[in-house]
Amino acid sequence: MKHDPYSLTGLIRNEEFIAWVMHPDELSDRKWRAFLEQHPRKRKTVESAREYVILLAKDTGRHQPTQKQSNRMWSIVESHMHEDAPKIPEQEPAVVFKTSRGQGWRWARVAASAALILSIGSVSYWFYYKRADNPVRDVVAREEADIPNTIQKYNDTDKPMTVLLQDGSSVVLQPGGRLSYSEGVNRKRREVTLTGKAFFEIVKNKQKPFLVYSYGLATKVLGTSFTIDASSESKDIKVEVRTGTVSVFSINNLDNNQKEAVLDKPELEGVTLNHDQRIAFSKESGKIIQLPAVVAVASDKDVSKQHFVFDETPVSEVFRILENAYNVRIVYDREKMGSCPLNATLIGQPLTEKLEVICNALDAQYEVADNQITILGKGCK
Amino acid sequence: MIQIATSTGETKDHDLWQRIRVGDEQAFTAIFEKYHRTLYNYGSKLSTNSSLVEDAVQDVFIDIWRLRHNLTENVTSVKFYLYRALRRRIHVALDKFPSMEEISKLDDEDTPANHTHSEAILIEVESSSMRAQRIQELLAQLPERQLEALTLRYFDDFSIEEIADIMGVNEKSVRNFIYKALTSLRQSREILLISSLIFWMLLFF
Repeated sequence: MKHDPYSLTGLIRNEEFIAWVMHPDELSDRKWRAFLEQHPRKRKTVESAREYVILLAKDTGRHQPTQKQSNRMWSIVESHMHEDAPKIPEQEPAVVFKTSRGQGWRWARVAASAALILSIGSVSYWFYYKRADNPVRDVVAREEADIPNTIQKYNDTDKPMTVLLQDGSSVVLQPGGRLSYSEGVNRKRREVTLTGKAFFEIVKNKQKPFLVYSYGLATKVLGTSFTIDASSESKDIKVEVRTGTVSVFSINNLDNNQKEAVLDKPELEGVTLNHDQRIAFSKESGKIIQLPAVVAVASDKDVSKQHFVFDETPVSEVFRILENAYNVRIVYDREKMGSCPLNATLIGQPLTEKLEVICNALDAQYEVADNQITILGKGCK
Repeated sequence: MIQIATSTGETKDHDLWQRIRVGDEQAFTAIFEKYHRTLYNYGSKLSTNSSLVEDAVQDVFIDIWRLRHNLTENVTSVKFYLYRALRRRIHVALDKFPSMEEISKLDDEDTPANHTHSEAILIEVESSSMRAQRIQELLAQLPERQLEALTLRYFDDFSIEEIADIMGVNEKSVRNFIYKALTSLRQSREILLISSLIFWMLLFF
């Protein structure tokens, strides 16, 4: 093409000119200033060309993803990083739940599990629990997913969102938080991926450790309650333990075999945290540092700060506390049940277990559907 | 082949790449963090379907992790690798066939006329705000491959050679895409000049 290389379009297309505008250095600066001195009439052209190059760069870069999209993409990518090859579904034994009073409960899962979601248009699960009058009658039926599919829960409301997992564990997801997990994939581990902040209450299962992945940090528990703050904006991830024991370790520089071994082990490795201890994990360096313990101030709205100790507390008050802590609605017969007293310490137990205990005391049952929990029973009158 | 990094950015990427190959999750996270936004931006020029673009970006990274142990050791530039992978993926998703590339090679022979003399006049008249607006309008109307070439050149900073490789065309075609894009900018400028001249004339007469 026969064109003046120093015309407007010539300059805009010129490799050296673009380099000078976008990444100036001493060499290019000298060269172009010399050029301008020799051709003073080109000054305006050069300035125009410069402006156009910058505008072109800016405008062609306008389609970057929103923070929300960014988080979503990372969440999905990360959840694929820890997949096992799908295994042949085995018959899984019924999960036996023991209350703090030592009574055995057996609950059957009829369909997929239920989760409480407070934003519109989300998928709901259902939990159905039957009273174990006759253990033989209970049927354990579970839908086994042959193909692992990733489930994502995103809290785009401004209130906490409670998610119930397949094993009965509960996760209170703070606004902006995103939780993703696969159902029925891994027989050896329970795994979720988190961006944002959430409070976890995990059902004890020694055979199946529970793992939370967040930006390269793995938090592993057997059964306990803790908070993970893995917001995309902050440089550090914080883990704080409420009850039980948690181990954290970074999944870097571990080869595949090592990694599988560490993740599968029922024992806890890495840095171990106990009640009220916390650490910070730097996303950049991968280092784990212990932080000073925090004095837990009981707060109505923050589930992770509550004690859930009830001493002759009327059930209406207990339900009110649960409603606030988990941001759920509990429907019950106030007349029959409201004033029944409850003695229990429910700290560390997932929401569903808390409900179990309360229902056990009330001789009642609970049902989770859509956005609310319904308590059915005769009460104590 | 000995790899000589041309900038610190590339050396760092090269290191991260080697670490990914041995399963370093943090290095992988770093590469994702560094490139996923600009990749998405590029993908948006290839398809306006944002879910498709998101999926494609995700898949590029998921595949890199999945096949990390088989990744090539000597990668020219990680960025280049990523962009090429994304383009392939989006085109497969859109079901585009390579024959389309063949047809446009015929355009190479065009040599547009020389407009240099009119440019001098145009520059005096324009103001900054007009420039910004015009660029936006221009870019919105460009044929896909011209926009693609412009993005890779001005925003993503690739060389003509790299763009040719990413787009699967020869270097001459790339220069052509860019030239045509800028030419349509000039033409729309002339129209604006003429209409503003007419406007002023009408004011005075």
